[in-house]
Amino acid sequence: MPDNAIYYHAAYIAAGVVYGGYIVSLLIRRRRARDRTRRRDR
Amino acid sequence: MPASSPPAERGGFDWLLAAAVLAVAATFIRAIYFTPVEALQGAAQKIFYIHAPSAFIGLYVAFGIVAVAGGLYLWLRDERLDRVAASAAEVGVVFMTVVLITGPMWGKPIWGAWWTWDARLTLTLFLWCVFVGYLILRGAIDDPAVRARYSAVLGLLGALLVPFIHLSVYLFRTLHPMPIVLKPSRPSLPPSMLTTFLMACLAFVLLFAALVRVRYRLAVAEDALADEELSESPAMSLRPESAH
Repeated sequence: MPDNAIYYHAAYIAAGVVYGGYIVSLLIRRRRARDRTRRRDR
Repeated sequence: MPASSPPAERGGFDWLLAAAVLAVAATFIRAIYFTPVEALQGAAQKIFYIHAPSAFIGLYVAFGIVAVAGGLYLWLRDERLDRVAASAAEVGVVFMTVVLITGPMWGKPIWGAWWTWDARLTLTLFLWCVFVGYLILRGAIDDPAVRARYSAVLGLLGALLVPFIHLSVYLFRTLHPMPIVLKPSRPSLPPSMLTTFLMACLAFVLLFAALVRVRYRLAVAEDALADEELSESPAMSLRPESAH
């Protein structure tokens, strides 16, 4: 059996970084929109 | 303050997103620790459990929704359909980015090459470029109606590539493996691997739904802010009321 575990470790880390990064970016954009709405309403 | 706040104003915890993240984490743990290693390919075969579900959802679900919502927008001119298409396109690009990163990580140990310009890989990269272009187009047009119309057409044309990508392994000589689950006959996976694969599909469908929901709510809030900023701008205030 070939020893290629490093590739799948790297793939799982990369997928986690991409999906996690996108979730964080969405939450930051949502917070910014909420802050803008609050400033506008004051 | 409007009677009902835009969704982005609603604070609090997003239970669907949290459940989706937990489901994906559970899938990762099952794939890494509780799924057997394939005898010929070794541990690199486990990349399949993130690559294939991400491709399935990115190609068929996300870009399918972009095409259907875009087509319905051109017919009904309902801005909610445009928001659904835009949200699905953005999340679909994220899923396809994972596909294009994890594919070469499987290809290097199995094929001996990170990339090959065969039909399946080249068409998938081209489709990703089309939908990145879709997002750039949306960012470049200020008029919401023009933006929605142009992006609906581009989304429909881009989604036409999806059947060709699915059939490319049958139509062309390609290094990419034939489908082992999405095919007319029974899946060619042992039960333990098939269970992990189906669990991964469910987890990523849940993640897709949660991300599109968050992105849609963000689009509603951003559109409301843009509308108010436009109505408060001096150019708009000079317009007679009958202009609406």
